[in-house]
Amino acid sequence: MFLKSLHLRHFRNYSEQLVTFAAPKTIVVGDNAQGKSNLLEAVEWLATLQSHRTHRDRDLIQQGQESAQIEATLERQGVPLDLAVSLRPLAGRVLRVNGCTVKRTAEFLGQLNAVEFSCLDLELVRGTPTIRRNWLDRILVQLEPLYSQVLQTYQKALRQRNALLKQAGSQGWDEALWQAWNQQLVINGTRIIRRRQRLIERLAPLAQDWHWVLSGARETLTLTYESHVPLGDGTSEAIVAAFNEALAARRAIELLQKTSLVGPHRDDVGFCLNEQSARHFASQGQQRTLVLALKLAELALVESVVGDTPLLLLDDVLAELDLQRQGILLEVMGDRYQTLITTTHLAPFGTPWRQQAQILKVTAGTIASVPDTAAQTSD
Amino acid sequence: MSSVYTRPLARLIDQLQRLPGIGPKTAQRLALYLIKRPEADIQALAQALLEAKQQVGLCSVCFHLSAEPVCDICASPQRDNHLLCVVADSRDVIAIEKTREYHGKYHVLGGLISPLEGITPEHLHIQPLIQRASQAQVKEVILAINPSIEGETTTLYVGQLLRPFVKVTRIAFGLPVGGDLDYADEMTLARALAGRREIEWQ
Repeated sequence: MFLKSLHLRHFRNYSEQLVTFAAPKTIVVGDNAQGKSNLLEAVEWLATLQSHRTHRDRDLIQQGQESAQIEATLERQGVPLDLAVSLRPLAGRVLRVNGCTVKRTAEFLGQLNAVEFSCLDLELVRGTPTIRRNWLDRILVQLEPLYSQVLQTYQKALRQRNALLKQAGSQGWDEALWQAWNQQLVINGTRIIRRRQRLIERLAPLAQDWHWVLSGARETLTLTYESHVPLGDGTSEAIVAAFNEALAARRAIELLQKTSLVGPHRDDVGFCLNEQSARHFASQGQQRTLVLALKLAELALVESVVGDTPLLLLDDVLAELDLQRQGILLEVMGDRYQTLITTTHLAPFGTPWRQQAQILKVTAGTIASVPDTAAQTSD
Repeated sequence: MSSVYTRPLARLIDQLQRLPGIGPKTAQRLALYLIKRPEADIQALAQALLEAKQQVGLCSVCFHLSAEPVCDICASPQRDNHLLCVVADSRDVIAIEKTREYHGKYHVLGGLISPLEGITPEHLHIQPLIQRASQAQVKEVILAINPSIEGETTTLYVGQLLRPFVKVTRIAFGLPVGGDLDYADEMTLARALAGRREIEWQ
């Protein structure tokens, strides 16, 4: 797919900005806090209806404004596609596909597919489990549009159950009510666990192949979904039974800590290199290789499921990769994936990166096109 | 804003704006319309509001809105005493009544269980329901509650409590009449499949 233009209105620090994309590679250059990442965030939002930087729509709207708009024109397998969203914190979101308002998010999700690789992703190996869960969830939302609904339902059941646990001391205990909430947590939690587990199974072989290549055929990467609930043979019946058992076993501790301790909201992803935990043993360099392998696997998986090339968003990350890894990434991208790249300096980009790349300069929420030579001399 | 409207008008707009579904613009339009009406009309409206508030209470049997101690549905001899339909809200009674397909009686819970909003089973009319359902003449209780997270939990909870006394069923959820199968989402299809039934041969 190809993103032809993006029109932002009162989005983050952009008052009114139309950007036209003219080449497979677009390099967005500018100083810090000028709006480079905001541009990529708008694309990410169209792909996932969320941002990895905030979960409040309010934050996406320019200060002093009531609403923000993002409009995009795309071409998907030769067919034009228009997407538009309007963010209004007081009145809700309006989503439009080809000018028609769609009521369900599932109809909007999956229209635009993007794989984002930002410097935050370098935390995937060492960071908190939340980062790894969010990573899985962001991919699933794009691959299985209904997943966002499944996730919201689970989170609601979780919040309700936690509220009940908090009230447990002050009010009488109602066992039947407790069991009713447990059942909601188990039914909806099982859906999440199975979908995440299935995603890991599809990503694992792709990531393993890439890591093998990137590590010079020295390291075997294994991915596992580490669930608090034993998965058994993976059927929903097996997971539901194990989930209920785990809840019964942790009951006393949950009542003591007054929060839900079992379920996909506590799960994690395990990365092993040659059967050793990457979280504990991988060096900085190995971690970078691993994250790059994960992202290349993500790119391949999204492409094979969607049947079209997703957009690749590289947010401030190239400077973090050495020349060899940059070279591999460049080779994979070729001109197949439309790529948006943000950077503070053009200097680290070798000529192969700049070849036929469109260069945009961002200054305080305004974007201007610059010919490559001019940008080069200003460096 | 105080300088824009003269004070009594501002008060009226403020009151109207507190109503559900009424924003500032609608409130202004309604207020400007109302003050142009003859005084008799306004009197009638104000009186209707007051009387409705003062006279409408809850039916002592089913907790549906009613001006009498026992509502028309509960008092009707034509209604089937063997069937009891449990709903969350009086609005649901009205919706089901409009179909004219149900001839049993109702029980209004008055809300859904929600720990986040502090709504516990004690806040709902569940105890009177158990008393009614355990009476000999009731043969079946139909739970007609929205399939939201709170609705599902309430259905499970109430269903468990009623099970020892009476047959408990729940209404089916699935495809809307006239809906296309390939437009239905996975959740709706899953529900429709779970609630499938044999073809009724004439």
